[in-house]
Amino acid sequence: MFVGLAPRSMSMATQIVMDHTGDTRHHFDAADLESLAKAEERFKSLTAVGFTAAARDSAGTVTLTRSFDPTAEETLFFPRLVGG
Amino acid sequence: MSAISPFLGRLISVARVSRRWLAEMVHWLRAIQERHRSAAAIREARGITLLHEWLSPQQKAQFDASRSFDVVGSHTGKRYRISFGRGTNVQEVDDTGRPVMGWCFVPSGELVAGDVILAQKVALETDERGALAVANRFPVQVP
Repeated sequence: MFVGLAPRSMSMATQIVMDHTGDTRHHFDAADLESLAKAEERFKSLTAVGFTAAARDSAGTVTLTRSFDPTAEETLFFPRLVGG
Repeated sequence: MSAISPFLGRLISVARVSRRWLAEMVHWLRAIQERHRSAAAIREARGITLLHEWLSPQQKAQFDASRSFDVVGSHTGKRYRISFGRGTNVQEVDDTGRPVMGWCFVPSGELVAGDVILAQKVALETDERGALAVANRFPVQVP
């Protein structure tokens, strides 16, 4: 018996933001409206300053995403590319 | 002579204090340097971990063996080899795997090498033209 264990949400998603520390991960519950709104706000503010968002599905397929996708399980944000 | 003695004594005392103070400063600076090195190593390791999570099994095997891996451009189907590094580390390769052209593009800001090459991989695999549009080309030496 697993008495006392909270059921794990099946709708947890992650936003991974590359930064000077390596990366910062933000986990959110896509079934929770408040959590979802914060994730969308984070998506908008990052892409507004030039970050590129790439979503990966459970099969491992990666696609660029220009607008917030509440169903994306994992989204990676990296800063604007520049010529080196 | 009697007037000089107190002065000398004071001078010696000041010198001793200064030496102790200097030794403490050196010790303190070394501790900061060591902490800085550890923090940098942790950041680098986080970058490698993230990269590993996003590489395909084939790319992961290639990277573990040679510190580089191949990606296929999303628009042209051309093959690129990304080596571990933070610049001038992307080479277009031909069908035989020989480098034909270097492409230099990096994400802006201070990122660790793992993050840089992950951004290059995702960019080439999802928006090859966009990545190459900002890149600078450089000739590569064919072995």
